[in-house]
Parts: sequence; C-alpha cells; structure tokens
Amino acid sequence: MREQLEQIRAQALEQLGDAATPEQIEAVRVRVLGRSGELTEIMRRMPEVPREERPAIGRLVNEIKTQIEERIAVLSEQLKRLAMERSLVEARIDVTLPGLNVPRGWLHPVTQSRERMLDILESMGFEVVETPDIEDDFHNFGALNFPPDHPAREMQDTFFLFGGLLLRTHTSNGQIRVMEQRKPPLAIVCPGNCYRPDELTVRSSPMFGQIEGFMIDRAGVITMAHLKGVLTEFLRAFFGPESAVRFRASFFPFTEPSAEVDISCLLCGGSGCRVCKQSGWTEILGAGMIHPNVLRAVGYDPEEYQGFAFGMGVERTALLKLGVEDMRLFFENDLRFLRQFRSGEAVS
Amino acid sequence: MKVPLSWLREFVTVDAATEEICRRLTMAGLEVETLTRVVPGFTDVFVARVLKVERHPNADRLSLCDVDAGNAGRARVVCGAPNVRAGMLTAFARVGARLASGVHGHGSGSLEEAEPLQAAVIRGVQSEGMLCSELELGLSSDHQGIVELDSDAKPGEPFQTYLKLPDAVLDIAVTPNRGDCLSILGVAREVAALFGCKLRPPKIKGVRISREGSPSEFSFDVEIRAPELCARYAALAMNHITVAPSPLWMRRRLELCGMRALNNVVDVTNYVMLEIGQPLHAFDLRQISGQRIIVRRAGEEREFETLDGTRRALQPDDLLIADAERPLAIAGIMGGRNSEVVASTQSVLLESAYFEPLSIARTARRLNLRSEASYRFERGIDRAGQVNGLLRAAELLGALAGAKPTSRLLDVEPRPAQERRIELKLSYLNSVLGASIPVTEVRKRLKFLGARVETGTRTLVVFPPSFRPDLNEPADLVEEVARLTGLAEIPARLPRREAAVAIVHEERRFEKRLRELMVGCGMVEVKTLAFIAAADNQRFPGFVSIEGGATRAEPARVINPLTAELSEMRLSLLPGLLNALRFNLNREATAFHAFEIGKVFTTVEGIPREQRRLAAISYGDYAMGGVDHPAVKAGFFTAKGILETCFRGLAIEEVSFEPAAPSLAPYLHPGRAAQFSVGGSMLGLIGELHPAEVLRLDLEHPCVLFEVDLATLMTYASRAAVTVNLPPRFPAVRRDLALLVDSEIAAGLVLATVQKLDVELLESVELFDVYQGESIPLGKKSVALACRYRAKDRTLTDEEVNRAHNLVIEQTRSRLRAELRL
Repeated sequence: MREQLEQIRAQALEQLGDAATPEQIEAVRVRVLGRSGELTEIMRRMPEVPREERPAIGRLVNEIKTQIEERIAVLSEQLKRLAMERSLVEARIDVTLPGLNVPRGWLHPVTQSRERMLDILESMGFEVVETPDIEDDFHNFGALNFPPDHPAREMQDTFFLFGGLLLRTHTSNGQIRVMEQRKPPLAIVCPGNCYRPDELTVRSSPMFGQIEGFMIDRAGVITMAHLKGVLTEFLRAFFGPESAVRFRASFFPFTEPSAEVDISCLLCGGSGCRVCKQSGWTEILGAGMIHPNVLRAVGYDPEEYQGFAFGMGVERTALLKLGVEDMRLFFENDLRFLRQFRSGEAVS
Repeated sequence: MKVPLSWLREFVTVDAATEEICRRLTMAGLEVETLTRVVPGFTDVFVARVLKVERHPNADRLSLCDVDAGNAGRARVVCGAPNVRAGMLTAFARVGARLASGVHGHGSGSLEEAEPLQAAVIRGVQSEGMLCSELELGLSSDHQGIVELDSDAKPGEPFQTYLKLPDAVLDIAVTPNRGDCLSILGVAREVAALFGCKLRPPKIKGVRISREGSPSEFSFDVEIRAPELCARYAALAMNHITVAPSPLWMRRRLELCGMRALNNVVDVTNYVMLEIGQPLHAFDLRQISGQRIIVRRAGEEREFETLDGTRRALQPDDLLIADAERPLAIAGIMGGRNSEVVASTQSVLLESAYFEPLSIARTARRLNLRSEASYRFERGIDRAGQVNGLLRAAELLGALAGAKPTSRLLDVEPRPAQERRIELKLSYLNSVLGASIPVTEVRKRLKFLGARVETGTRTLVVFPPSFRPDLNEPADLVEEVARLTGLAEIPARLPRREAAVAIVHEERRFEKRLRELMVGCGMVEVKTLAFIAAADNQRFPGFVSIEGGATRAEPARVINPLTAELSEMRLSLLPGLLNALRFNLNREATAFHAFEIGKVFTTVEGIPREQRRLAAISYGDYAMGGVDHPAVKAGFFTAKGILETCFRGLAIEEVSFEPAAPSLAPYLHPGRAAQFSVGGSMLGLIGELHPAEVLRLDLEHPCVLFEVDLATLMTYASRAAVTVNLPPRFPAVRRDLALLVDSEIAAGLVLATVQKLDVELLESVELFDVYQGESIPLGKKSVALACRYRAKDRTLTDEEVNRAHNLVIEQTRSRLRAELRL
C-alpha cells in the first residue's frame, strides 16, 4: 500500500509539471483528490491495513494530499498569472473606437430661452400663472381698452374660432384673468402661445410665445421708474450686463404712458450694422403703465391702484439672443439645427 | 406717413440735423422707420425761359428755340417737344450736363455713368444743350413734352434748387392714437414741441367767401339726417375751373408722400389733406340735383358704385352723402362714380366734414376699402378743422385751376364740439412716473402741443386742442409730458420687496422634471404649430380623459385660417411630430427620437378645452449602437421603456396597460397599441404607427408613438409622497413560479394577479420569462415569475418560505386557472 501511495504521488507530481494545462490539473485533482479518487479509495481500504501501520499510512495519505493540493495551488496561481500576463497583450483594444450610443436628448432653444427668462423673473419676485389660449373678445380686447371697430385692433389681426371665440393675440389677457380673480399687490408673469394670421416667414409665425408681466400695488407704489428698473435688470440678466437699454415712447391701448424697449444691438454693440438697420438698437419688448380703463374693466379703482405691464416675444428674443436670423428654423425642427443647442448653455 | 423734409421745414424752422430730427421723433413715439434721401438725377440743369420758337428749316416736327437761363447763359437749342412755346418756363440742360435717366430716358439711371451732354448738329442745325422732359430729369414717366414750370420759377436758378433738392423723406409709423400726425403740419407741431421752436401753420390768403351769401350765384342746402355720425359738414361751390395737370411742385410733393397725381382739382384736395390733415372731396357740381346735400344713412339703398368703378354692397347704417335724388359718396371713404371730377368739369362742390371715426372704420373694414381719407377719419381728424381745410383748398384751386367761389360757405354743425377740461395734479403725474418733473416743464410741454393751460399751485387745468381727440383724462396728459420730456429723464428704480420666498409654479416645475426625464431617455424636444389640417385631426383624433375612461372630441375650427392646411387646432401632438420626422428623413436623418410638450384643443359640447400633453415619437436606431455592435432599434418596448422611465422618475406607481380600443387609436397598429391608465383615469396611448400610415409616410422602419395627458400625470405625480423605510436587515428568499396559461392571457394580467395576492411574507413579484414552443402544449404559454419572500425581523426558514410559496401557487392556480409547469 505504501508503494501504491508513492506511485500515486510520483505519477501525480509528474503530471503536475510546470507545463500542466488547467485541464490536466483538474484531471489530476479529480483522479487523486476527488470524491471517488485514488486517495479516497486508499482511505476506504484502510481496514485492510494492519492496525499498527494505520497511523503511518494515514499520515502518508494526508501528506500526499497536502503536497498535491499545494502543488495544484502553486500551479493554478502560476497559470492565473500567466493568463493575466497573456491578457495584457492579447486583450488589447483600440481605445479610439467610439463608445456605444447611450441616448441623450436636448431641449429646444426656444424652451431654453423661455425657461431662462422665467427663472430670472421668478428670482425677481414674479409668480408664474398660466392663462388660456382660447379667449373671448372681452379678455383679449375689450377689457384691454380696444373698443370695437377701433383702429388699434388693426395692430393685431386675429384668428377667430367658431362659437364666438378667438385665439389670443397676446398674453395680455393674463392681466385681465388674474386681476378678475385677485387683488393687489400682484407681481405676475404669464407665459404662453399667441396667434396672429401671419405666414411662417423669416420674421413671423402664426403662433409664437409671449411672456406678459405686470406688477400692481396701491397708487404711487409701483411707478414708471420701477418699470424701467425691473426691465433694465431683467434685460441685463438675460442679454448680459454690457447691454444698454433704452425706453422709447410708443402706443398700446392698454398702457399709458407706453414704451417700446430697445437694447443695444447684440451684433454690433451699438455702433450700427445691417441687423439693426444702422440704428445700433434692437426693439425687444413693449411696456407701460397699465391704462386706467384696464383697471376699471376689472373693477379696480384707478385712484386706488396703479402698476406696470410688459410683454415680450419669446421666439423673437431667442432669435436675438442666439444670433439666429430665421424664425422658421424654430418650427422646422431640423435636427442639424437643434443639435447645436444640446449643451443648454447657449441661453444661460 | 411720408414726410418730405423740405415740406416740413415750411412750417417749422429747426436747426438740427436730419438724423437728430429722426431720433427725437422716434424717441417721442413717432417712429421714423426709414429715412430716404432724395438727390437730383442730373447736373447742370437750370430754370430757363423760352424766348423765341422757330420752325426747324429741315424738319417739320422740330423747333429752333432761343432760351434764356439767366446767369447760366443763353443758348439756341433744337427741340422736338410739341408743347414748346415762346414765354414758357422750362428746364434747360446745358452742354456738359449729365442726366441719369438719359436723353429720351435711355440712360442707365446712374448719374456717375451718364455721359456729359455734347453740343450736336441736328438735321444741319447746331444745338447747344437741350430742353428736358420729366422723364429725362427722373421726375416722372412723362415724356409727352418738356417740363412746364410755374411763373414763380426764376431763370438761371439751378433746377435742383427749384426742386428743393437734395431732400429727405421720413417714413413715420404713426400709431393709431395719433391721427393728428397724419399731416405735415401735425408732424411739424411735434418737431416744434420737441425742439422748442416756433410753428408756422400755412396762412390762408386770397379767398373771399361770404358766409352770408350776397354774391351767391349758386345756392344750396346741407341737411344732416344722421347728426350722431356727422358732427359737422362744410361745403363751398366753385366755378370757372379748368381741369388740367397740377404744376410740377405739387405733383412732386404728392408723389414724395406716396400719392398719385391725377388732375389739379383732385390733387388740391389730396394736397390739403396731406398738408393739414383735413380730408376733402370734390363733387362735379353738374351732377348734384335739387341743390341739396343730404348726409344720411344708407337705409334702403343696397348698392353704390364708387369712383374706382366697383359696385359696393351697402348696409343700412353706412353713412352716405346724397343729393335730393341719389347717393353721391360713401361718406369719408370714397366718392361716387356718378359725381367724380372729370376733364370737362367746370364747377365743383367742395366738401369738408367731420365724420364719426368708429362709423367710418366699421364701413371701411366691411367693404375692405381703405382710402387715405378713411384712414384719417378713423383715427380722428381735427374736430374744428373743417372750414380751415375748405378755405385752404379754395385758395389753391383759385391759384391752380382758376376757380372762383360761387356760393356762400355752408357750415352745418349739428353737434358743436364740447371743450374738454382736464385737471392734472402734479403729484399724480409724478407718482405715475416716479419722477419729479417741475410744474413749469409740464406747462411748457402741454402748451407746445397746442393746449390751453391754467396753472394753479398743485393742479393744472388743461384744455386740449381740438386736433387731439386722444387727450381725455389725466393719464393721457402724463403720457404727453413723459414722451416730450423724454423717457430717459425718468429714473430707473427697483421696487421695494419684502424678503418673501418666490412662489413656485408647480406645473412649470413638473414639466421641467418631465422634460429632463425625456432628454435623459435620448429624446430631442421639438416645437410644432398648433394649427393642423382637418384631415390630420381625422386621422389623429386624440383623446379626452373623462371619469373612468376616454372619449373622442370635436376639434376647434378656425374661421379665417391662413391656409386649408392650418384650418383646425390640433387634437393631438402626433401629426406635428410625424411631420418633423418626415422633414428630417428627407434631410439625411436615419433615426428620429423626439418629444413635444404642448397644448391640444378640443371642443366638448361646444365648450373649448385646452389640455397639455406630452407626446413622443421614436424611429430607427435607438440605443447602444457602435462599431460591430448593432443598435437597439426603436420598437414598442423601447418606447414603453421610456414611458416607464418617466413614471419611475415621477414616482408614479401602478400604471396599468391594456390593449388599446381600436376606435380610440385608429392610427396605431391594432395588435401593437396600448392605452394606459392610473387610478382609473386614462393617461394616454402608446403603440406602433399603423402600417397604413407607415405606407402613407413612406417609412422604412416601424415608428412608435405615445401621447400622455399631463394634468392626469401631474395629479398622480404630486401625490407620490415619500415614506422612508430602512433597508431590510434580513435576507430575502427567491422562489420561481412557472405557470402554464392560455396564450391569450396577457402576461401583465398574470403578473398583476400574483402581485395582488394577499400572502404574508410575499414581498415582490417580477416577470422574467414568457415562453411558447417546444414542450409547451399548443394554445398555452409559460409565464415565469420570481417571487421574493422576506420577514422584517428574522431570517426565514425553508419551511416558512415553502408554506408561503405553496399558498401563492394554490391561489394563483385557482384565480388564473393556470397549471404549474414543472
């Protein structure tokens, strides 16, 4: 039996030479150490061994077992290291190949502009309120001091719907909607889409976004000076602190005094160029002190309350901010155009 | 309103440069949109008198003319014009002159390129220069004869000086409240007020008209039957008229202002309107019967032919000017064919009236007939300017057409103007503006506008002038002071704010989250128009969530659409997304994954509703593509994955999907469409585009769409409050469950059934395999679920898990009539 054991050891150690493959090692392990392997077999035959020799044979079996296990461990370790070393060479990849496409979209530039404007206005204390696109004559015109048949209405051609309704021509209906529900002090902005029967062209669209803002308090509290302050701050926050802002007298039926607000041309900085028609200025929004007739229309006493209102076009402002010249690009959704705004940083 | 600077300067002397005038007008609310320079198209042309005209010895149609151009010399020229005659004043181009339009108008139009005029021998006679037609001087297209000048032209005067060149034309965008600025005088008044200089209105002289009627040859009456529409009507008859072209200076001015010259009578009425803003009309006196002018409503009158030859349908409330028998004009808008001034006219009735603005506006809009007159009446002319306008026209007609008054001046004013009195508190003015403008400045500005001002210490009493109907209350005056002082003079201040937290708009915040989720899923945001073709609304009818389900809705229709393609408001965002897909596929794109958040518009029982929606489209390679690595393509389950990512991101649990009712989504593949709902409310639809639509749009791959109602989504998102649980301390045990069910039964139903079982220790159930084929009986499928068991307070024993799992098996079998697959 001792010889048999020595033979098992010799054979195993021979097979566990330096060149042994993982398969050979596994074969030896199963044959010698396995559940029905050679050493197990020997242990099963132990009763045949004379009692006094048994301890020695047992020790020998353990010794051989340990020796082979250690040898296998060493070999396996070697093999793993070899495999690892080989992989360092063989598993080389071309790291310049592109990665797999993990999808990532981006926001429309007009959304980016609008959200930026609203963020600024919210930070200045304005509250955002949604108001309807489908309106009646009173909220879009009558209450805003556009009498029926008045030529001022021609400033705003209108889409009419069946059923005596219309599509709002401006977000100024927001003033009326909010004032009907609430009492001053108010600091509100109403974003939303407006509609006018203009073809989709470089400069116009039958649908466009506007943001209406207004601030109302007791008479004497909110003045035209505040209108100037608020809009100057807002425009500098949006277009950059170097922008100059000017207020030019104008006319809107629902404000008095009314002003158009210009900023220094973003392209030439005010020295005059093709885009600003050599004037150095670009018209950016309309504003004014809310007309007493508008306050009366919602049941406010103009002796008691006063405030300002302003309105600006979202696409138009985005065009200026982004240096885009054609309104149609915003509604065509050409990916090659939209892609350029993927960082979301163009308007921040 | 086009304003030639040379004309403007007749009424106001201002030192400032043209650009400065434009800038100040623009800042004060009269925006100068364009400034056009007018320069002569010639050099070396002079006013000259023709001294003598002889027949050309060798040509019947040519004349030899001696001309005297004063300081510019004398010359003998050959001239072919039929109108040349001794004594006339005309334009003489001397040798060396250049004409941009060229001789006979054959020039290039460029003065630089024009060859200098040379002395020439014409049919054997030397010609030292030439006499010019208007065409040759670039003044008009008239080449019938040479220029004829008024007797006030001075021989030797350079012709550009005579024409007041160089000149500039200011094109001013006059706002609807400033009817008073629709005249040269009105703009001059603004300039005077802005620069603080004196205004010189045209002085009318040389007309003698009796209001009493002694030298009257022609007597007539004016009867105003609609005094509420016509506050004043003045008229004057004139005779001895010779209808002829107007002199060059007048035609030039009309043309610089954008009007066409016709004949001296019509031109004078237009000229006075441009000059002082009072529209006038001249009727051929022969055509007025019954010696009577009646201002009345159309009443029974159905139709009327205006002088442009168009028959106009009338409404009973339209205001007409009629004689005893028939209508002669649509008041304030256009005269009639039946009484217009023609070449043979020798006497006219001049009308100068004040018509009610809104009535004129209503009729003009309905007839879609806007004239220069109606444009001014609509905006409100000078309430007291009628007689002045009439006299100015009479004066000019006398000078230009030899006209003489032949009636007394009739001036009927059934409703005399009320003087307006406005009390303006200085404190009010400054509290609106947030400024401190002194009382002297306020008074000065208002006076420049023509208002009468009585000054108190704190309050001004202001009487606005008759030509400013827009000034009625203190706010109107505040605006005047603000714009004339300059808005730049008002300080800029920030309002005082309490240190309040900004109020957050929940809907906006929610949409922001949603947009970020969509972007994170690879979706690009697009924007499409809310207008749509009726056919698209029929194909994509959208849905309206109602209690316990959904219904179809009627679209909102536009009465006056831009085109038939944009005649309805969208019921769904999907057609817009499909358009965007097609647009991009036509332009190099092979894949398109996009979304839009916007409103859809429905009419339910006649009441319009606006609903915010999220819609998405996914087409072509979607994700994980690379070199030697095929991309995951867009399909129902990639899109559903995006949708579920959104639900997860908004912490919305329990959204249930079921096959979509085909009536709800006829545009989706009937076997690949689902409707989904939460808490019993319809949330939206998802599916692959119907193969018929795929064909119609010529698509190569399947296209997946979904549309979600945002109000419903937000309701459930905002309810998803977080309850914090500690991570489990004891391990879970998984037991799988493979069920054989009828292949018709949806896997989602199997899963939901097991999930809803009330078995203690059952923590979660997940679906991990659905299998049909080998070893599965026909008509059945295997659905494999992973059930997870856990107790909060201990590690479960095998025995406990087995007991629970057996309960699950038992209950599942009975509820689904499923067999256990072993």
